[in-house]
Amino acid sequence: MERLGTGIGWRPEIAAEIAGLPGVDWVEVVAENLCPGHLPPALEELRGRGMTVVPHGVSLGLGGAERPDPGRLAALAERAVALDAPLVTEHIAFVRAGGPPTGSPPLEAGHLLPVPRTRDALDVLCENVRIAQDALPVPLALENIAALVNWPAEEMTEGQFLTGLVERTGVRLLIDVANLHTNHVNRGEDPAVALDGMPLEALAYVHVAGGVERDGVWHDSHAHPVTRPVLDVLAALCARATPPGVLLERDEDFPEAGELAGELGAIRAVVEEARGAEAA
Amino acid sequence: MVPKRPETANGPGTGQDGAVPERPAIADATGVGAASTDAARQRLALAQTALLSALVAGAPAPEGFDRERLRVQSRALAAKRASVIAKVAPELPGILGAGYRSAFLAYAQGRPLTGGHRRDALDFAARLLAQDLPADPAARRQLAQWWQDRAGPRPPRSGPVSRLVRAARLAFRRR
Repeated sequence: MERLGTGIGWRPEIAAEIAGLPGVDWVEVVAENLCPGHLPPALEELRGRGMTVVPHGVSLGLGGAERPDPGRLAALAERAVALDAPLVTEHIAFVRAGGPPTGSPPLEAGHLLPVPRTRDALDVLCENVRIAQDALPVPLALENIAALVNWPAEEMTEGQFLTGLVERTGVRLLIDVANLHTNHVNRGEDPAVALDGMPLEALAYVHVAGGVERDGVWHDSHAHPVTRPVLDVLAALCARATPPGVLLERDEDFPEAGELAGELGAIRAVVEEARGAEAA
Repeated sequence: MVPKRPETANGPGTGQDGAVPERPAIADATGVGAASTDAARQRLALAQTALLSALVAGAPAPEGFDRERLRVQSRALAAKRASVIAKVAPELPGILGAGYRSAFLAYAQGRPLTGGHRRDALDFAARLLAQDLPADPAARRQLAQWWQDRAGPRPPRSGPVSRLVRAARLAFRRR
């Protein structure tokens, strides 16, 4: 797996801060927010420095009941080519439902919703992933999402579901440690147990993000600082596998550059400490 | 105007419809040479539509879900939609000020997102204008102008704000 290093989610609001942050090896951009012929100049500047840029899609809905839309797949492929990206990433989620097969009008969620961990959902997801892989010019990695709701009558653990997905499609994994923390608080799923069950040999990179707990529910806000428990999940992951890359995500309430640099430093420290422990 | 209650309020069923085939007892665990996923897709479509209809269209909670968690998720989706619209159309929170969020959430409650966010922003503005909102005439004029600049291939020529509001109201009713 290609080594990416430490990165940050590129957002227009913090373009100037990112350009000046020391030790940023790569960035990820939300694919739907890019126009391939008209990349933001600040992003072009980073590319000019030789920085890797990975497009991260949010609207394919590969965990949905429908086959992925060819137009959306072509758009993601076009962005991968425009950015000369080594891989593209998306989510294990559904984002829309309704439409002809259901007798209900089409509905958009506007965000990522969890897929039931059932054999039906896994069969559909695997076929959708293979369709996506055929349409994309570079490898695909998929991210575990944060869930607020639990599906009743699930048939598999997250580890079993992801293992089946990787075995059947060869897709790579983007593991979001903040989402594992979310599932710990909201669903009582121990991150250590979840990580033990995951096919970490397929790991492409790791997401780290901040959130906030309200009334016993963890909100994966990407608008708050990264907390210790999330870094502890990162440490637990690094004790089991060496991630090719780790990326900080911040989407709202952007802090000053110094705070972002501090969070990147904390992430780097966790990764390096694990590497040191491995070498010792 | 009172928005039409979404058809999804009655829901697509909870997947217990007799017409939907049961999953075969023997599954192809490897996925190699798997049979068509059509039946699995149909069952998944009904389950996901029932959940999403409960979250964004006021449909009853599907069986087995924690109702309080559904409310939390529903509010989170509406809040996310409001913040995406604020980014797609930053003029709207600019024009509406502190009232933006509550006005948007009131609009979103009756109208699930069905297309893109730009369309959503236009529909939101048209709905406010149709209700003679915002109350401040200067803000209403600004909102009407914003809507007119973006709403369609042949917007009415600039004229009195009442004409713009009439056009917005018509556009909103047509959708």
